[in-house]
Amino acid sequence: MSWFVIIYYTLLLGTSCLAAFFNKRQIFLVAFGLTLVSFILGIIGGPAALKAVAICAALLGLAAMVSYAFREFLIQIASDEMGKELRTAPMTAAFGMFVMFTYAVMGVFAPWIAPHGEAEVIASAFAPPDQNMLLGADQLGRDMFSRIIYGARNSVGLALAATIAAFVLGALAGLLAATKGGWFDQFMGRVADVIMSIPSLIFALLMLSIFGPHIHVIIIAVAVIYAPRVFRLTRAVAGNVVVMDYIEAAKLRGEGTWYLIRREILPNSTAPLVAEFGLEFCFVFLLVAGLSFLGLGIQPPTADWGSMVRENATLISFGDITPLIPAAAIALLTVGVNFVVDWMLHRSSGLKE
Amino acid sequence: MGDILGLVGKRLGLGVFILFVISIIIFFMVELLPGDIAQAVLGQGATEENLAALRKQMGLDQPAIMRYLDWLSGAVFLDFGNSIVTGERVTAVIGERFMNTLFLAAYAAVIAVPVAIVLGVIVALLRNSIFDRVANVVTLSFISSPEFFLGYILILFFAVKWQMFPAISSLSEDMTLGELLIRTFLPALTLVLVVMAHMMRMTRAAIINLLASPYIEMARLKGAPPWKVIVKHALPNAWAPIINVVALNLAYLITGVVLVEVVFVYPGIGQALVDAVSKRDFPVVQACCLIFAATFILLNLAADVGAILTNPRLRHPK
Repeated sequence: MSWFVIIYYTLLLGTSCLAAFFNKRQIFLVAFGLTLVSFILGIIGGPAALKAVAICAALLGLAAMVSYAFREFLIQIASDEMGKELRTAPMTAAFGMFVMFTYAVMGVFAPWIAPHGEAEVIASAFAPPDQNMLLGADQLGRDMFSRIIYGARNSVGLALAATIAAFVLGALAGLLAATKGGWFDQFMGRVADVIMSIPSLIFALLMLSIFGPHIHVIIIAVAVIYAPRVFRLTRAVAGNVVVMDYIEAAKLRGEGTWYLIRREILPNSTAPLVAEFGLEFCFVFLLVAGLSFLGLGIQPPTADWGSMVRENATLISFGDITPLIPAAAIALLTVGVNFVVDWMLHRSSGLKE
Repeated sequence: MGDILGLVGKRLGLGVFILFVISIIIFFMVELLPGDIAQAVLGQGATEENLAALRKQMGLDQPAIMRYLDWLSGAVFLDFGNSIVTGERVTAVIGERFMNTLFLAAYAAVIAVPVAIVLGVIVALLRNSIFDRVANVVTLSFISSPEFFLGYILILFFAVKWQMFPAISSLSEDMTLGELLIRTFLPALTLVLVVMAHMMRMTRAAIINLLASPYIEMARLKGAPPWKVIVKHALPNAWAPIINVVALNLAYLITGVVLVEVVFVYPGIGQALVDAVSKRDFPVVQACCLIFAATFILLNLAADVGAILTNPRLRHPK
């Protein structure tokens, strides 16, 4: 029995008893459930397994504290109206916002944060970490840490550009289809059907194999693949708005299509569109990450998270987790955005409970 | 019964038509190449004679429409022409790999479908409890992770640290089924994790939607025991959304399989597609894309037909 194990169980049991005493049912269930699970884990895996559990719990606690503080911070700096909205945000959404904020800072200030350039060779291949290189070197001897920082700018930037392209294309087509109706509406609907019945990754691979993996090709390919989803949603949302009386009134006033879209329809359908933008970003980000993992994304030497995973994958067979960090960075951002979208959808639509 | 057959037939016809349109897209996209295939294969340094010879050999001197009809009539009988890199028949390259991919997808589906549906129903019944919240966060994390992230984590733990399963799934002809299942366990598990998360969330949403309807409340109010409410009242109406969820997720497996096959170096059709894309072997790319699209459409079709069969309301469209 080491000191660690004793302290571990004392803390857990203490928390459970306190929670039970103060009638906090959920906290008690979690704490005591964890105690029971730890008995089994401790017998199978020994203190190492318990240490892993403790580290996970500590990380979760840290994340919870950070998100709580960040939410309070946002409430303080936001206006009264916004503050009230933010107060309803669950912890997960606050965490998502914090992640997005961190990535934005990382992307914008990459050259100042990263100690080395993204294409700068400073050591031998796969050199281990030292004071100069926080995470060691990659397969060509470039600083892994700097490349991860730069990756935030390149990978997220590309995904963001592609999402915006898809969104503008899809939303514009959807709004036009809703206002014009008739054959244009029918035609766009069928086109969307056809594009959506090709698996997205396969379609992207086809286009990239033909036009080559250039950045503008990736953006256009992704825009074509994901625009139909936006089109359908916009068409449905705008379709509900178009039949309103005030649209009829505006039409009778003699306003043009563009005015109708900009001043009447768009302001009344922003909430679902913003949520859709977040969701769309997640899909696009995962698709672009998958493409760059397959070597068809941003071409070297530009740092890109997906290709970094593939290039350094050999390290994994030696039990080194460094190649997983860029992959984890992709997952973390997607999870964060999803959390925020979840909250927004919940708020705007009042999903059934 | 007649009108059901009619509806299903109509849906099938639409599926075939969409597949036809997709074959046009796949074929004529290659025509958009700057220059043509012969130029792309031989590169910039090719002489005029070489180009002309290759064009003749590949039939590129024919008009595009004729070549398309030729390609399509071949594709119907699973003949996609020859690979331009190795010269082998595309069917010979892909055929066996397609079987391997189907095996992997089936393996993952057999595990994922029952577990996901049971867990999804449980989570729906326990909604808003701490268990539901945890399940929500966990499934969301799995959905948000790229497949290669999950794959490499599994390799790190199961193959490198604990050495329980092989990290690379090399298959050979003379393996027993048990050996095959162990060799392909990690790729299958990766797919299971992703698909299960999707399926659980969709099942949960479908069941919760159902439990909110008035007739379920009526059953509860008249004092039926909870299990009876679920089994007798909710389940018959739940089949339609559940079948839909299963078919849609199997369709999702088709895309997920590409990345997973590359991570585990699994000899499947996804790997073949990625190889062909990097070598610019267009006949293979076209064949793989058509096969993937056909499978995708077939599964979506199955979802629609399943919905029509289990939900009588859909048989009388407005």
